[in-house]
Amino acid sequence: MFYLSKIEHKFALPPHLLARPIREAIQSELERLFLDKVIQKLGLCISVYDITSIEGGSIFPGAGAPTYQVVFNLIMFRPFPGEIISAKVMSLDADGVRLSLGFFEDIYIPTHHMPYPSYYISKNNTRKWTWEYGEETDEFNIEISNEIPSSKCELPNDSS
Amino acid sequence: MSLVRFYLLLEMKILEENAGALTNFEVLDFLRAKGASKDPSRVLAKVAMSEYKVYDYLVKTPAGSQTRESVKEYFTAIKQHDLSEAEVLNVLNIRPASEVEIYHIIEDCEERFPDEEVTEIVEKVGNTLPAPPDKATPEEITKGDEETETQKHDEISQDQTEDGEQMDTS
Repeated sequence: MFYLSKIEHKFALPPHLLARPIREAIQSELERLFLDKVIQKLGLCISVYDITSIEGGSIFPGAGAPTYQVVFNLIMFRPFPGEIISAKVMSLDADGVRLSLGFFEDIYIPTHHMPYPSYYISKNNTRKWTWEYGEETDEFNIEISNEIPSSKCELPNDSS
Repeated sequence: MSLVRFYLLLEMKILEENAGALTNFEVLDFLRAKGASKDPSRVLAKVAMSEYKVYDYLVKTPAGSQTRESVKEYFTAIKQHDLSEAEVLNVLNIRPASEVEIYHIIEDCEERFPDEEVTEIVEKVGNTLPAPPDKATPEEITKGDEETETQKHDEISQDQTEDGEQMDTS
C-alpha cells in the first residue's frame, strides 16, 4: 500500500521561512508542496519521510528568494491491482458503492464489480446493497458506515 | 530593458519511483515518532491534518496493535515458506486469521502450498502478530446477517463486518 519514492526538487524557499533552521524550513516548504497531493506514477503523497541532501541556496538575479535543490524521500500511497483494503462505506446508489479510507475517498465499486448476485434496494429512507449468497437467501447488507474489506480489481487512474 | 534570462526555478525529478515498500506498521511507527497519537490535543504535534487522517486509518488496522518485536518475529517465522515479498507484506498488513483469508492474499495458493502448510502459515501469523485492535478473539463467522443486524444499531461493532470478508470467499 505504501512505498517510498526518492525525489529531487529544485524550488525557491519563501523568505518568511528563512528565520527558521534550514532543515525545518525546507521540510515545511516540501510539506506544503507535496502533502496530500497526487503525483503521476507515484500515487498520493502521505508524508515527507526524510531529507537526504540540500544543495544550493543561491539567489538568482531578479528573484526574491533562494533556490535550493533538495533530494528527499516521500511516503506514497499506491495500491496495486488486486490488493485487499478495508474501507468505510461513504455513500451508495444504483451505480455502485463509494468507499473512503479517511485520507483517500475516491474508491468506487461499480455495479459490475459487486459480488454476484447483488441488488440495490432503495425503500423509504434507507438505501442498501444486498448480496444474496448461499442457498437460502442469506443477505449481506451493505449500508453506510459498515467497514468492508474490498479487493481492488481495477487499476486506479493515474492522475496528477 | 536588458535581456532577462528566466531560470527554471521549479523542477521536479523522480530519482527512484520505488525506493522500497513500507509496511503499514512502519508508516504508523513513523507517524507516531512524528508525534501523532490518539489523544485529542492534536494541535501541539507537528503532524499535518492529512497525516493525521492516515494515522487514524492505520491505527484501526492490524498494524495498530503490532510492535517492532512482533514484526521481527513474524519475518523470521515466515521465511521458511516460499512467499514472495509482496505476499509477506500483505499477510503482515492484513493479518489473516483463517485459511480462507490466505487464499485471497496468496496467488495460486492451492498449487503452491499443501493445505497443511497453509494452516501452518495461519498459525504462525496468529502466534507472532497480535490481534487487530478492537478484536479480542480471532473472528469466527457463521451467519452474515446476524452480524449485520447488530451493525445497524451499533457503530462500535463496525469491525465485525470485517468478518464478512470470510463469507465472500466461501
